[in-house]
Amino acid sequence: MTATPAPSTLAEPPFRVPRDRADLQLFLQAALTLEHLTIPPYLTAMYSVRAGTNRPAFYAIRGIVLEEMLHMTLVANLLNAVDGDPLVANSQFVMDYPALLPFSRDKVPIALRHFGVDALETFLYIERPEYVAEPPGHPSVGEDDGWTSVGQFYATIREGVLRLTAELGEHELFRGDPARQVGPRDFYNSGGEVFAVTGLDSALKALRAIAEQGEGVSRTVYDSDDQLFGETRQPAHYFRFDEIRRQRAYGPHDTPASGPTGPAVDVGWREVHPIDPAAKVAHYPPGSAVRRAAERFNQVYARLLCVLESAFTGDPAAIRTTVPTMLELRDLAERLCRNPHPDPAKAALGLYASPTYEVTEAHFERAREDARLRA
Amino acid sequence: MAKHLGDRGRRVLVLEAGTRTLDTWPGHLDAMNTYYAALAKVPNSPYRANAAAPSPDVLDLQGLPEGGYRATGYFLQNGALPYASDYQRATGGTALHWMGLVPRMHPDDFTVRSAYGYGRDWPLGYADLEPHYRVAEHALGAAGDAAEQSDAIGLPFPPGYDYPMRRIPRSHLDHLLATRLDGTTIRETPDAPETTLRVVTTPHARNSTPNPHYDGGRGYRPAGAAGLPNYGERCVGNASCTPICPVQAKYTPLKTQATWSRRVTLVTHAVVSRVLADRNGRVLGVEYQRYDDPAAPGHTTATAEADIVVLAAHAIENARLLLVSGLANSSDQVGRNLLDHPMLLTWGLLDRPTGPFRGPGSTSGFEGFRTGPARRARAPFRIEIGNWGWSWSAGSPGSDVARLLGIPGDTGAPRPPGVFGTRLRETLGRDVGRQFSLQFALEQDAESRNRVTVDPAHRDRLGNPRPVLTYDLSDHVKRGMVAAKAVSDHLFRLLGADDRTAYAPGPFAPGWFRFDDRDYVFQGAGHAGGTHVMGDAPATSVVDPWQRCWDHPNLYAVGCGSMPSMGTANPSLTMAALALRSCEQIDRDLRELRRPAVVRLPEGQP
Amino acid sequence: MDSQQTAPQPEAADDPAECAGFVDVSVRLTGFDAFELRATGMVRAYHDTTLEQVGRPAVGRFLEDLAAAGGDPEGLTDEVSRDIARAITHLWYLGVWPPLARSTHAALGREKPNTAFVVSPEAYVEGLAWRTFHGHPPGAKPPGFGTWSDPPPAAPARPAEGPA
Repeated sequence: MTATPAPSTLAEPPFRVPRDRADLQLFLQAALTLEHLTIPPYLTAMYSVRAGTNRPAFYAIRGIVLEEMLHMTLVANLLNAVDGDPLVANSQFVMDYPALLPFSRDKVPIALRHFGVDALETFLYIERPEYVAEPPGHPSVGEDDGWTSVGQFYATIREGVLRLTAELGEHELFRGDPARQVGPRDFYNSGGEVFAVTGLDSALKALRAIAEQGEGVSRTVYDSDDQLFGETRQPAHYFRFDEIRRQRAYGPHDTPASGPTGPAVDVGWREVHPIDPAAKVAHYPPGSAVRRAAERFNQVYARLLCVLESAFTGDPAAIRTTVPTMLELRDLAERLCRNPHPDPAKAALGLYASPTYEVTEAHFERAREDARLRA
Repeated sequence: MAKHLGDRGRRVLVLEAGTRTLDTWPGHLDAMNTYYAALAKVPNSPYRANAAAPSPDVLDLQGLPEGGYRATGYFLQNGALPYASDYQRATGGTALHWMGLVPRMHPDDFTVRSAYGYGRDWPLGYADLEPHYRVAEHALGAAGDAAEQSDAIGLPFPPGYDYPMRRIPRSHLDHLLATRLDGTTIRETPDAPETTLRVVTTPHARNSTPNPHYDGGRGYRPAGAAGLPNYGERCVGNASCTPICPVQAKYTPLKTQATWSRRVTLVTHAVVSRVLADRNGRVLGVEYQRYDDPAAPGHTTATAEADIVVLAAHAIENARLLLVSGLANSSDQVGRNLLDHPMLLTWGLLDRPTGPFRGPGSTSGFEGFRTGPARRARAPFRIEIGNWGWSWSAGSPGSDVARLLGIPGDTGAPRPPGVFGTRLRETLGRDVGRQFSLQFALEQDAESRNRVTVDPAHRDRLGNPRPVLTYDLSDHVKRGMVAAKAVSDHLFRLLGADDRTAYAPGPFAPGWFRFDDRDYVFQGAGHAGGTHVMGDAPATSVVDPWQRCWDHPNLYAVGCGSMPSMGTANPSLTMAALALRSCEQIDRDLRELRRPAVVRLPEGQP
Repeated sequence: MDSQQTAPQPEAADDPAECAGFVDVSVRLTGFDAFELRATGMVRAYHDTTLEQVGRPAVGRFLEDLAAAGGDPEGLTDEVSRDIARAITHLWYLGVWPPLARSTHAALGREKPNTAFVVSPEAYVEGLAWRTFHGHPPGAKPPGFGTWSDPPPAAPARPAEGPA
């Protein structure tokens, strides 16, 4: 096995409350990158389960991925509302894995792992409801020199939005072009309804949706989809992962303290295609079918990000292409994961090939060129 | 109806003969697996058999080598031709496996007897039903283009009416046909008037892009899957609508069931065996059989009392129940006028890839033959453009794979060598990739000789008499098929397509017959109707315009069984509109029942 | 259900030699390459089904006959071997083991009924027939809302039309 590479990191904004529009935009761009960061690891786990098995886990992770995409879209809407420019289709947007979870005191690397206990432990760590420290500037965090939780980061954005609204006026702060907002027309199965951000209320609602879908309403297992979206509330992400990890569902009266006491959840830890978390395209022999498929995956992933960028920068209807593109990625990923790793030593260990999510500037250029030709 | 009445504060008991397994997501996934593992992907293939509440299956019918048919399974059949449709007894009903098309009937369809001299007239017209069509389109979640329907077919809508969702996008095949055929005129016979061809999108009860202008700008939110959140909010092109939509983007009654108020009680595993009435014809309630395990024989009998009883068990089951109960039949029409849409399929290869097996089974059609003076002589038809290659007509691609490999249907027959490898792969791709089909839905005229009866000698496992069907097609329908085939021949010529249509008797052609020296094979559309026909007089019909039995004012028989004609439209939307209209009368009936009696003092008293 | 709480041991690797041979033969039978065949996840299931249905001796003879024909299934002369070739190919294309010719069934002395069956729900979903025209099996692998409106891959672009 190759040596584990040093994990990559996301550039965190400075430890302060956003102090002007440009600062807020910087923070929101970081939030956009953050919301995307968990998607490749979640997809990797999803696509590594053997066909026809682990359905509850598959659907649970799928639902969470869709909600992360909803979060991305809400952040993009918020960024557009404050007259910013979401950047998605560039190589800095896609982290190299393993990547460090940002805004965290502990430096926990997140890798592309097959479905299993290790992957779930990582997911639980990512989504854990934790003690959320006050935003920077508060006396209780006077000794801190950096971010300690994602919750704190979002609370700080919230604080920034409130202060800038007071300072600039709501109308001036939210002066972005409303035509850039992505609405529910073309964004479906989205884990809530995506909505336009047009002012302070919708901005705060967006931030609340993001926080509570991930960690749950404070001290409960559930999110607030019933209040925010008029939908059935579900266990928040953390608790949905917990249901899989503990192989038992949360019932309507369960709390974080009680743990899940509902029906058993069917999980087959062995019904997976194990993969090498450090897999890179370079490990696959040039000219081999696996290599071609892995490169193809990265190219289609670049296309997905180009679609998102178009949708977030003036063509909201483009978001309807994300579903077909993600379905194409699913097919490619499943085909890869069912092929043994081309390296005989790794195949002997029972490892299979997997997508690598190495998306380069060349991929983006080609995706943009293809889009131009098809237009 | 249960939803509507429950929402208005009525206590409703729904007795479902089958199970409710599909209400849950695991039950739905199990049905998906059953479907995947089924050898023949027929409409009932995802749904488990239930010996306590048996359903007919199209596999029950087999053609005989020289013509004729054999019927096994739930139905007994003794007609010249087989009744070739099925239904499903479970929560959700037959609409679990429907295609989900919701065209409205044409205004002319309501007066076929007085205008064209065949069949039976409705006792109400399109205008009476129109407001209820709109409510039904909301209730089911319809996706369509009202301006196109009005313009292309002449369907009346209120000005500015919009469907809740934008029309389901046309298939690539629709586009190919439109490019080559729109605006062309054809005649079905040399002396017939010209009909202009135009590919027209079909309305669907299937989740599509919501229409922001709907409902005065309030818009519409698609109803997703009944068992899972954040699922089924758009059709994603699974191309298996019949028999099951994996994501539940297609409307099924389970979506409505999920919104029932607490005043609606659902009891499943409950087969209603008799409707009970007193000597004055007042219906008291029903007797029903409760069973636990569909596979085990035991059952207990119970009764339920009600102010109003509504039979909504499907046209054939409603009729069967009325016959067994000896009710509602002073007109002698119960069970008679059995209708379907006989379907004529034609199929072939276009000169380029059509992208078959993608999207819903049919997204557009040709509407130009649905009415007109020719109806006097021959049945009219609606042409569905078939997006799923030859799956219905020829069992593709399985039959193509078998044929190319040299595997015939009869294991005793000699086997050609067959092709393998790249040759197989490329031939299959090239041929299946160019497949398309046309599906002609003919209107069937109501005939009293086509009927459902019961024979006490033939009972199901719970002891309920099985339906005995006597069915045939009139010459009016057969002449319609002659015209349909002529139109099909024209279309294939205009398209430059390779026509592979062939009709012959055989095991897979129970619907074979000869007419005018030609062979035809028809299929059932799954649209049963007519069996408790609606009319304007008790002597000649079973139910009144509100679907209330003439003989029993507190007994309703609802569904397509009330329809004197289905025209050429898939009947479910009309059925829903009629049901919503009946709710108004049921409301009135119940208020009437609750009205305090007025006590009159004897005359002369102040 | 598996209550294993520690990381799973990798699946005992499929005996590489045997399944690799089955994959090689299947490449010749189906016209799809090894990557595409393995991508279905059905190699082991189809390999086992074939052995169960016709027995190891018949498979052995089939492999010899195929080798004698230079690896070209269309060069098979023995009727039983040819029928086995048909059956394996049918399996890959549809996920269905087909009925054998009555003569083959008798020659093999099979005691099981000579009827077709779907190997598993996944086998239907992974049928190769759908991939020959860039399609997908009905009920699975949906391509997305509106995609049925686009020309299928490898079809000529649609000529521009007037308003639909």
